[in-house]
Amino acid sequence: MAVTADRPTTRDDMVIVDVDVHVNDTPEALAPYVDPPYRRVLEHISTLPRRYLDIPGYALRLAIDLPLPDRGAGARSVHTPQQMREDLDALAVDIGILFPDHLLTMAALPDDVYAAALGRAYNAWLAEEWVSRGDGLYGAVVAAPQDPEDAAREIRRYGALDEFVGVYLPTAGVNPLWGARRYTPIFEAAAEMGLPVMLHSVGLIHAAFPFNVEQFRTILFRHPIQHEFALMANMFSMLESAIPARFPDLRIVFTEGGISWVPFTMWRLDKEYHEYRSLAPLLEHPPSHYIRKFYFSTQPIEEPERPQDLVTMLDMFDGADQVLFASDWPHHDFDHPRQVLNMPFSADTKRKIMGENALALFGIDAPVRAG
Amino acid sequence: MARISAGPADALAPGERTFVKHRNFEIGVFNVNGEFRAYRNRCPHQLGPACEGAISGTLMGSADTDWQLEWVLDGRVLLCPWHQVEFDLDTGERIRGLGERLRAYTVEVDDGELYVHV
Repeated sequence: MAVTADRPTTRDDMVIVDVDVHVNDTPEALAPYVDPPYRRVLEHISTLPRRYLDIPGYALRLAIDLPLPDRGAGARSVHTPQQMREDLDALAVDIGILFPDHLLTMAALPDDVYAAALGRAYNAWLAEEWVSRGDGLYGAVVAAPQDPEDAAREIRRYGALDEFVGVYLPTAGVNPLWGARRYTPIFEAAAEMGLPVMLHSVGLIHAAFPFNVEQFRTILFRHPIQHEFALMANMFSMLESAIPARFPDLRIVFTEGGISWVPFTMWRLDKEYHEYRSLAPLLEHPPSHYIRKFYFSTQPIEEPERPQDLVTMLDMFDGADQVLFASDWPHHDFDHPRQVLNMPFSADTKRKIMGENALALFGIDAPVRAG
Repeated sequence: MARISAGPADALAPGERTFVKHRNFEIGVFNVNGEFRAYRNRCPHQLGPACEGAISGTLMGSADTDWQLEWVLDGRVLLCPWHQVEFDLDTGERIRGLGERLRAYTVEVDDGELYVHV
């Protein structure tokens, strides 16, 4: 479905960077790029019946919600860089950072050798077909948590290319959480290459944190737990192992969780820290010191009845320099850039959130507009 | 006040819709079980093209139904194609929302022709 509205969206006065848009990484698309032993497997998987973000042996999903008639928008996907460029133009987005569709669930794949092979195939596919065109599409190197040494090699390989500006850390179903020592090579490589790491969860029902979410019968009440609780758990895990103290130059981005959970994490952890500082001996400051330096993407941006409340929320964690616009296009819960632009932030804060923060974070030059 | 033609009334069967333009925006004109309704093609949520969405029914229940579910408003629920926000096509109101509604316009049938008053 095209993005259409009865009012055109053009923003001549600011650059819009969208730090979370999704490409449809089908098994047939990755098959030519995967290691030979898995090529036939992916070609076979391509022939199997599939549902939205649910492909046997490739994208694990337990779809337990009651399907209602006519609610079919969940199937929107972007298949080519040309289509992505057209869609982002319609949204008045200048620059997009690409994330996968199906590999959102890759941390749940039990076969570490296969998972790492899929990660390498995705990175090669992005490099070859998506980010080499110079039309405002940039990649995030996927880091398969199942094989941190291999992920570190991938980060050094693709991070050397200007078109790759971040590292995607699969967050749904990751076990152990991202603070575990085994992931140290990934953070070393990202810090060395100067690439921000970007945590991104998805609506996965799986036996890793946050587990037991099958108790919710509907996505309405399960979805926020699958995103925000997953981000929160991984943030806490990374603070617990002092990742931001051990890697002071590493930038850490939390995507697809909105912003309203951030003040809670600062205040709650700082309270615990009064009593238990000796149990976090590698942290050199209270947790909020580090959380204020993390980055948070807007989507799903909160829509309070009093829009001013969102401005207050941002101020609570001094977020004007730390928040990054994201649409999550083309997913069912995407935010139109207007949704953030129409919030009563100051003009300066809007310019930062909509693009300037991301340009600085990812080291991307502002685009030069024709005409 | 403008009066915009939306074509012959008998060309718009129950369940069907057409669109008219006014200045720089669109209005969806619907035949809702024999009654004509017109709404601006702009969702109050994120300004998506609500009038282009699927027309369906929905599930509801309350104390009046003894908390049993019912499939209701069949053919009367408009789903915005962006985020599936539900509107009652009879009134333009968001179903069980916070009072949001589609901007409604009067539809007149004059000598077999549909006219939207803007």
